[in-house]
Amino acid sequence: MFSFKLGLKNLTRQKRRNVITILVIAFAFFGYLFMDSVMGGIEEMSFSNIKNYDTGNIQVVHPEYWKDREKLPLENLIYINQDIVDSIKNLDGVLGVSPELRFKANLNNGIDEVSVLGLGISSEQYNEVFATQNYIIEGSMFSTGESKAVIGVKLAELMDLKVNDYITLLVRTKEDTFNTIDVEISGLLNAPNPMINNGVVFVPLDIAQQGLNVGDGVSLLALKTASGDEDKIAKVLMDSFKNKDLDLKAYSWRESAESVIAFSTAKKGGAGTILSVVLLIGMIGIVNNVILSALERTAEIGMMKALGMREWEIVFVFMVEATGIGILGGLAGCLIGFTGVGLMAKYGFVDYSAMGVDISEFGLPIDKIYGTWNYPAFSFLFILSIMVALLSSILPAYWAAHKDPVKAIYHR
Amino acid sequence: MSLLELKGVKKIYQQGKIKVPALRGVDLIVEQGEFSTIFGPSGSGKTTLLNMIGCLDTPTEGEIRLNGNKVSDLSRKALAMTRRFNIGFVFQSYNLIPVLTAYENVEFAIRLIDHTSELKVKERVLKILEEVGLKGLENRRPNELSGGESQRVAIARALVKEPKLVLADEPTANLDSKNAADVVKIMVKMNKELGTTFIFSTHDPMVMEYAHRYINLKDGMISADERRG
Repeated sequence: MFSFKLGLKNLTRQKRRNVITILVIAFAFFGYLFMDSVMGGIEEMSFSNIKNYDTGNIQVVHPEYWKDREKLPLENLIYINQDIVDSIKNLDGVLGVSPELRFKANLNNGIDEVSVLGLGISSEQYNEVFATQNYIIEGSMFSTGESKAVIGVKLAELMDLKVNDYITLLVRTKEDTFNTIDVEISGLLNAPNPMINNGVVFVPLDIAQQGLNVGDGVSLLALKTASGDEDKIAKVLMDSFKNKDLDLKAYSWRESAESVIAFSTAKKGGAGTILSVVLLIGMIGIVNNVILSALERTAEIGMMKALGMREWEIVFVFMVEATGIGILGGLAGCLIGFTGVGLMAKYGFVDYSAMGVDISEFGLPIDKIYGTWNYPAFSFLFILSIMVALLSSILPAYWAAHKDPVKAIYHR
Repeated sequence: MSLLELKGVKKIYQQGKIKVPALRGVDLIVEQGEFSTIFGPSGSGKTTLLNMIGCLDTPTEGEIRLNGNKVSDLSRKALAMTRRFNIGFVFQSYNLIPVLTAYENVEFAIRLIDHTSELKVKERVLKILEEVGLKGLENRRPNELSGGESQRVAIARALVKEPKLVLADEPTANLDSKNAADVVKIMVKMNKELGTTFIFSTHDPMVMEYAHRYINLKDGMISADERRG
């Protein structure tokens, strides 16, 4: 089709302007792909943080406890029965089970007092589920029965504490009476999860149970599973609890991390806004290009009309040209994006720890942010670039094609 | 039946609140195979008259018939189709498409009416380029052609679809005398060989020497209409 050929050949006119438009589209696309990758990386790290340092992949709790879990109640606890723990542990896909007793406490260093989350854990089982122990930067983890504690470095800094210092945890027992748990700090943590660094005191499970007077009670069982198997295993567990007539429920980490999931949803909204800006940039580029081309080729449009070309045929010539720019811009954007995202996925965004900046204060992982690949975004953006170019060229092309032939020929 | 008939054609342009008459009532009959020239001072209405005849514009009043068909009140689409199949144009400033070669500029016009045989189109384009003396220059782009050569491409483009009527608006105005003479000779040759009707506006006395008919336009009206030979 000759009009198609002419549209393509027109791409070689005004090379500088076309290249600038292509680059504008390309860099707008790159910006989107880059942001998408960074946000994807942050999301993935946040999810990994939750699973590896906070909730595990699945939590087994009493349904009534689950409703009030934010209040850290000492009611509706699970009373550990080794058979239950073993049966859970022996399930296919379950890699570890860690009982936890979560409680409110005030940490007192003899001078100051600060509110903290107390976490009674069995260190061996805890290590099967969580990666926290890898981040002990000073001292060591305690063993069962030891009156010791591990706290985060930020909390230690705040309370001016170091390893081998003694602290007192002021707690309320199950009966709502005041009690204290006196422990020696055995280790300091600097985990990627800011919550752990800032406000958690780990103590041996038996010490916590004794201090809170809850017997063998634990708040929950945290489970480690293969990633992606959470829902399947949670369902198996629920069926098993139902069969055994146990008043327990299994929740995947997603249900424990609603706020982060909400952030992730908000992120998608943010990505939509960025995408809209990118599309707007592309549209403005294309519209500008078509209008300038039409103004420069007024006499040529008049000649086309004199030859008997109909308006839609002239529109088609301009649309082919604009779509060509869209395709080239999209391809260039994907190419630059592919390189940028590839580098970011491999080498990370910025090494904050090397810069001496602690971004954990902002709830982000402590060192680098790595990008993630979002392949559908590439194809989506490429197709979108063609669609945007095609659609945004229609009106200016029609405006060009609708010119009065006499005025166009004589450029009046 | 005459090829072209104009009866009482008037064209009035509205410039703000002022009405500017460009044609004040033109009656004209042009027969098939005529080689006519419209001349007259600037502002006499030559270009307006050619635009009316060429279906690029419609008269404010009066009637135009091409091949017996009334074209003065056709829709834009119908006018486009009339131009596509029946009329060829040659402009003073050539109006070639710079990204297309001489061959492609001519091919462009024929492709609008002939979508069938590649071979047939190629034969026809090469033949017409040879006839206007551009053999060997088919692959040159307009910026690689002289003014005379560019105007020959424009003539080839107008003639390739074998229209009944070719309208040329001051086709030699941008050419030197030798090139102007060559271009006019080509048009005379095509008029004789193909029987194509030519109407062109000009100020050039050399061009007028070749015409069979002289139509003198003055203040939007035909003041003289003479035939020769």
